[in-house]
Amino acid sequence: MNTLVARYSQPAAHTHAYNADEDSQQLIQDAAPQLSLNFALPPIASTAQWLRAMTDDHSNPNVPIKIAHGTTTLAFRFKGGIIVATDSRATAGNWIASQTVKKVIEINSALLGTMAGGAADCQYWLAYLGMQCRLHELRHKRRISVAAASKILANLVYSYKGMGLSMGTMCAGVTPTEGPALYYIDSDGTRLAGNLFCVGSGQTFAYGVLDAEYKYDMEEDEALELGRRSILAATHRDAYSGGFVNLYHVKEEGWVKHGFNDVNPQFWRYKLEKGEFSNVNAKLDETSGKV
Amino acid sequence: MRGASILKANDDKTRSLNKHTLMAFVGEAGDTVQFADYAQANIQLYSMRNNSELSPYEVSSFIRSELAKSLRSKNPYTVNLLLGGYDAIKQKPELFWIDYLASSAPVPYAAHGYAQYYCLSILDKHHHPDISFEQGMKLLRMCTDELKRRLPIDFKGVLVKVVNKDGVTLQEYPEGEQMYAP
Amino acid sequence: MARRYDSRTTIFSPEGRLYQVEYALEAISHAGTALGILATDGIVLAAERKVTSKLLEQDTSAEKLYILNDNMICAVAGMTADANILINYARQAAQRYLLTYNTDIPCEQLVRRLCDLKQGYTQHGGLRPFGVSFIYAGWDPQRQFQLYQSNPSGNYGGWKATSVGANNASAQSLLKQDYNEECNLNQACELAVKVLSKTMDSTTLTSEKLEFATVGKTKEGTIYHHLWAADEIDALLKEHGLGKKEESEPGTTSAATNAENRPEGAPAAGVH
Repeated sequence: MNTLVARYSQPAAHTHAYNADEDSQQLIQDAAPQLSLNFALPPIASTAQWLRAMTDDHSNPNVPIKIAHGTTTLAFRFKGGIIVATDSRATAGNWIASQTVKKVIEINSALLGTMAGGAADCQYWLAYLGMQCRLHELRHKRRISVAAASKILANLVYSYKGMGLSMGTMCAGVTPTEGPALYYIDSDGTRLAGNLFCVGSGQTFAYGVLDAEYKYDMEEDEALELGRRSILAATHRDAYSGGFVNLYHVKEEGWVKHGFNDVNPQFWRYKLEKGEFSNVNAKLDETSGKV
Repeated sequence: MRGASILKANDDKTRSLNKHTLMAFVGEAGDTVQFADYAQANIQLYSMRNNSELSPYEVSSFIRSELAKSLRSKNPYTVNLLLGGYDAIKQKPELFWIDYLASSAPVPYAAHGYAQYYCLSILDKHHHPDISFEQGMKLLRMCTDELKRRLPIDFKGVLVKVVNKDGVTLQEYPEGEQMYAP
Repeated sequence: MARRYDSRTTIFSPEGRLYQVEYALEAISHAGTALGILATDGIVLAAERKVTSKLLEQDTSAEKLYILNDNMICAVAGMTADANILINYARQAAQRYLLTYNTDIPCEQLVRRLCDLKQGYTQHGGLRPFGVSFIYAGWDPQRQFQLYQSNPSGNYGGWKATSVGANNASAQSLLKQDYNEECNLNQACELAVKVLSKTMDSTTLTSEKLEFATVGKTKEGTIYHHLWAADEIDALLKEHGLGKKEESEPGTTSAATNAENRPEGAPAAGVH
C-alpha cells in the first residue's frame, strides 16, 4: 500500500523526468519547478481509470462527480490585434451552477487565457501559468512570449495526460517579437497556433457566424462586433452556454476589456433592430424591460 | 454505410410527394427509403382519389400522424425529415422540421444531424423572412462552405432541389473548392 | 312480378330497377321540405318541421338541421333515426380527417364518404337502404361555399339551389324561377322563406314550423355556421311580411342583421 501511495503521490511530471544528463534535468526544473505540485492521489491502482469512471457523464449520466464543462469561448487574430470573447455560464450536468463566471483569465497585462472544460482545472492551471509567466519575467527581465507561455501549459497538461484533466484553452497576447499571437491548448496535449479558434460545447455555433464573415483585415469595431455576435449565436443554440458576453481586445500595449454584457437584451436588439433570429416568434413584452 | 465504406456519394435523399411538396430524409438505413416511399404512395393516392392536392401543411400533419403511429409500434421507423412545399392556395412557401419521435414544427429554416450545429447559427444571423431566391441560394452556399470547412467527416456536397409555384426542380449547384479553416 | 324483387335491395328487377331504393325515395317525398340556396357570401338551409301533435314536447334543439363539423352543416329529409346514424358517421369521419391532416375535411370528400356508406346499403344482402336525403352546406379553401344534395341510392351532386322532401318538385321550380346567381345571403334567406311559404301546407309560418341555418364568413374572414334561434326566424318572417300578424314584439333584432353579421367573433361552431 505504501509503495502505491508513494508512487502516485509523486508529481507526474517528475516520474517522466529524464535524468541522464545535467542539461535535461535543468530544463525540467525550469519548466516545472517543485512548487506545490505534490498532489495527494487516491490509493487506487489506476487513477485515470477511476477518475473516468467517476466523472465521465457521457457514458454514464449518473456519475457521482459532475465536472462543469459547457462553454463557448473564442479568439481570433486580426490586423488590430486579437479579439477574445466568452460566455459566462457554468453547468454541472443539467444544473446551471453560475451565470456570471469569468472565463477570460488575465494572466498578465498583455496575456489572456480562456477557460473551457473543467472550470477548476482551468482556473488552477491558468493561475499556475500566470505564476510561471511572472517568474519568467523576473528571471529573464523581459516578458514571456506567447509561444513560450502556451508551451509551459501544453507541457504541463501533457504530463498529466490520461489522468482526467479536462481543459480547452486559448492563450492570446501581443508581444514585440511575435506580434499578435494566438495558441490553442487542450488537455490531450494539443497545441496549435492559428488565426481563429472556438472552444467548448458551443463552438460549432460560434464557428458558423465567425467563419462566414472573418477576415484578417477588419477594423476594431467590426472585429469586436463579430466576436460578440458569435458568442451570442452560441448562447442562443447551446444549452450549456449563456449568461453574459465577456469581450476583450488584446493590443500591443496590453489588453482592453469591452464589457461583460447580459445576452438577453442583446438577443432582442439583434432580433428587433436587424430582424435576425427569425425562427423565434415570441414577442418582447414591452412592459418587462427596455432593449 | 455498411462497414466503413461510402457506397454512393450522390444518392438522392428526397422524394416528391405531390406537385408542390418535397420531402428530404435522413436516418436508419432501410427505414428512410421505406418510409419515404410509403408516404409518397399515400399522398399520391390521395391526389388520385380526390382530384386535389394536399397542402404542405396537410402533408406534414399526415406524415406526423404516421410517424406517431409508427413510434409506438413494434418496429418504429427511425427517420428524420424536412418537408418543404408551396401552398398553392395561400401562395406561400412552407417548411416543416419533423423528427422520428413525431414532433413537427413549422420553421423558416431547418437542418438535421450535425449540420444543425454548424448551420443554424449562420441562418439565425443571416436569414430574414422576406429574402429573395438568390439571397436564399447565397445563404445555402454559406452553409455548405462552413460544412466543408468544419465538419469532421468528409463532406461530399449537397443535392439541391427547389420547390416553388411551378413545382419541384433540380437546382444546379456547382461544387466549390475544399475550404480550409483560417 | 314486381313483388319478387320488391323486398330484395340487392337485386335488380327485370326492368332494371331497385325497388327498395325507390321506396326509400318515396318515403322521403312525404317528409317535411328542406331547401338550400347558395349565395355569393354564404349559404342558407331551411327546413319545414312537421308538428304532429299539440301534445308533443317542442324540443328546443334542431331536428332537421345538424352541424357536421366546423365548416359544414346539413339538412335532413326522411327518417330521423336513419339520419342520426349517418350524421354520427359523418361527424366521426370529419374528426378523423381533422386528426390526420389538421385541416377540415373538404366538403365533397365528406359528402362522398357518406354516400359510399349509403351505397353499400343498396348492394349488400339483407340490409335496407337509409331512408334519408341530405342537403349539405359547407365551405372549404379549395372550392369556397358549396351546396350538395344526396339521396338513399348514394348519388350526390352539387347545386346552386335545391330542395328535398314533400312538394320538392314545386319548390324546385320556384327556386329555378327566382334564383339569382349574384344574390347575397340576405336575398337567399328571403327567397328561402318565400319558397317555403308557398310549398308548405300551413297558412301562416312560425318559428315552430321552420328551421333555419346559415353558413357564412365573418368580417375577419373566418367561416361560421349558425342554427337560428326562434326569435331570429320570427324576425325574418316579420321582415318579409310572412309572420303572424297579431303579435309584434318590439325590440327584436331584424333578420338582416342576423344573417349578415351574426356570430361576430363568436365561436365558429353554431349554438343550438
